[in-house]
Amino acid sequence: MSVNKVLLKKVLISGGTGFVGAATVRALAEAHPECAITIIDLQPPGTTHVVPGGISFLQVDVTSLNEVRRAFEQVKPDLVIHTAGIVPPLSERFGRRLERHTWRVNVQGTRNMLDAAKEANAEGFIYTSSCCVVVDCLGFPYHNIDERWPIPASSLIYEAMVLQESSSTMATCSLRPSVLCGPGDYQLVPSIHACIAKYETPFVIGNGTNLWDVTYVTNVADAHVLAAQNLMSSKTAAGEAFFIQNNEPITFRDFCLAIWAHFGHTPPFEVHIPMFLLYLVGWLCEWLTWFFGTTTTLSRGSVRDACSIRYASGEKARRILGYQARVGIDEGIRLSCEDYARRMGVELPPKATRPKEE
Amino acid sequence: MVSPLSIIYYTFHPNELRNILQWKVWHNPVHERNVANETETQKTCFKFLDLTSRSFSAVIKELHPELLLPVCIFYLTLRGLDTIEDDTSIPLETKEPLLRNFKDFLEQDGWNFTGNRPEEKDRELLVQFHNVVTEFKNMKPAYQAIVKDITDKMGNGMADYCRKAALDDASVKTTVEYDLYCYYVAGLVGEGLTRLFVEAEFGNPALLKRSQLHKSMGLFLQKTNIIRDVREDNDDQRRFWPKEIWSKHVNDFDDLFKPEHREAALNCSSEMVLNALEHSEDCLFYLAGLREQSVFNFCAIPQSMAIATLELCFRNPAIFERNVKITKGDACELMSKSTQNLRIVCDVFRRYARKIHAKNTPKDPNFLKISMACGRIEKFIETIFPSQSAQDAKLLVKGEMSEADKKKAQEEAETRQDLYFMMCLMGVIVLVISSIMFGVAWYFGARFDLAFKELLNGNFQKPAHLGEVRDEL
Repeated sequence: MSVNKVLLKKVLISGGTGFVGAATVRALAEAHPECAITIIDLQPPGTTHVVPGGISFLQVDVTSLNEVRRAFEQVKPDLVIHTAGIVPPLSERFGRRLERHTWRVNVQGTRNMLDAAKEANAEGFIYTSSCCVVVDCLGFPYHNIDERWPIPASSLIYEAMVLQESSSTMATCSLRPSVLCGPGDYQLVPSIHACIAKYETPFVIGNGTNLWDVTYVTNVADAHVLAAQNLMSSKTAAGEAFFIQNNEPITFRDFCLAIWAHFGHTPPFEVHIPMFLLYLVGWLCEWLTWFFGTTTTLSRGSVRDACSIRYASGEKARRILGYQARVGIDEGIRLSCEDYARRMGVELPPKATRPKEE
Repeated sequence: MVSPLSIIYYTFHPNELRNILQWKVWHNPVHERNVANETETQKTCFKFLDLTSRSFSAVIKELHPELLLPVCIFYLTLRGLDTIEDDTSIPLETKEPLLRNFKDFLEQDGWNFTGNRPEEKDRELLVQFHNVVTEFKNMKPAYQAIVKDITDKMGNGMADYCRKAALDDASVKTTVEYDLYCYYVAGLVGEGLTRLFVEAEFGNPALLKRSQLHKSMGLFLQKTNIIRDVREDNDDQRRFWPKEIWSKHVNDFDDLFKPEHREAALNCSSEMVLNALEHSEDCLFYLAGLREQSVFNFCAIPQSMAIATLELCFRNPAIFERNVKITKGDACELMSKSTQNLRIVCDVFRRYARKIHAKNTPKDPNFLKISMACGRIEKFIETIFPSQSAQDAKLLVKGEMSEADKKKAQEEAETRQDLYFMMCLMGVIVLVISSIMFGVAWYFGARFDLAFKELLNGNFQKPAHLGEVRDEL
């Protein structure tokens, strides 16, 4: 990030103690030491997602308009970054159990944030969306998609709400990061690592050639800083949505293999399971979990997730925001694994890459 | 000509035989040499082209008449330089000025060189080099200038290299040196050819502005050859693999060829393949800038062969034991596919990238990087030939069909109709024939009424007495 001429004065960030939020806070504090950052969240900053010192914190439930208003009156932010949202855990993502709760936080929370931001005369509003607004319509492959792609009606509401509010007084934009990994990630790397203990690693779903975008979390944080700078200066990003990812698509299988390799595990053999078979099993599992009220790794959604092609073009984000991934995905996976190993208290085996010292 | 072994081979590889036949039967050169109009010196030049090059002579000879001779002369000139450089019997003090001044010999009528050792295989080309000089001087001045300039650059590059080899240590150490070496021996050729193409208006002038592209064209081919020929080169005391790469895997270059270091050698070779793969997108991009079919073929064939060769060498322990080569059938298939259009060449690249990807193993320290390189090739191809458009996706979300899909659906409906019609026709024919047969049987006194009654009574067996009658007969 070379352009640091833009000054950010007061930034309010919701969900700032979460995975993306905390990373964004760290990146903002580093790039803009002059900026006063206030986090609003349900929980105060903890040890999993560390935020630097000198950051204010207000305990706010974003689904309560009164609480949100009070926070905005107190802070009077120039710029709002709204990252608070619920991504249900992998096993629940395609279930119905949390649907109403997810809906309330994501839609009601976003509405409240927008209204409060307008009332407080904020100049910019950045919404952290997800590539899932587009790709969760799982029916067909997504090769190198760009921002012109349609949004399925069901996910439309979250993002469109924000983009429609873009005006001459308040510029809004939306960032759509792909699947994330990084230190503090408690979803992706842990669940893939867990396959080792469950002896699930030899099984390849589908043909294993489907490409995926994964993003290292600090890159997404960088994108937030760039978007903030843009909305506070040229405003070329106003009313726009951007796909944010590492722009290094790899296959989902290779992503898993790379993680396992960091933990010193290589599948002893490989079995390819046709997708439709697993789809059927996933469907059965869904019924069983519905019946017993438990959770599972396998569902039709997760099967389709693992087999589908989803990678996006980073062209628009590069052109307008000047975004480029600073941490490569190989480096990102290594850092994520090292962090997870530290959290679990295990030591990673030494890498074979180093030259032999004989 | 046809050996029993090859008969057995092709019995079990019918696909390859099909590819060979397809290439031999169906391939029509875009342009053909007109031998009747050629002068004696031109004929001699083409004879030397055949003698000195196995792979390039065929594609050169199919080039557009405008570029046929310039490219041939360009090739022979560089081959001449190469023959001087390769000859270890020529002392440095003779060799260096020869290499540096080679560009001027191109303009000296009757220039030739007889100082090569007798076993140098292209010696005769230099002995009769005056033919090349004659034809060089007949070329358009613009072409002459290009050939001369590249000869100058390459001659000096080679001279520097020979000087370094004689006085110092010329082994390739860093990847930067490796790229530089490949640039001198191949990247420059790419530059010269590109300038010829653009001069003849067969290539987009933007190809010259983005020098990275034509550089990559040469480097991709050269690096592939260096990987494939590692054993042969090492046997000849030549080492092109950069130390920066091999020292990560083995302590001594010779260890690569020892069975006990096989795993390390494979990891080393895959890092070399990764290094070469970085150029593949540039190559496809370059091909998109060509405007003439024969020029496209000329450039695309070696590139397709290179990606196929890389795939063959990738994690293949045989490269450390012998010279590996793509089979003739595969080569013919690649040639057929490289002489059509960019989309088909892209399909070839994607197919081989996926094959490389499939052979990639997490035990390899560069596993993820190789996976990313393959992903990048696919993504790049997707940017030039998107498999779906946002427009189609919008319609799909709305539950509507795109124009292409509508057409397809209509075509499908038509074929279905045809099928129904055929089935009806068959039914009518069966009905007519069987009614004729029943009619004839009835005419000769068949008792269908009795047979029907028996069937109704559930008696499907043939009556017992009839069986006896038959036995008596």
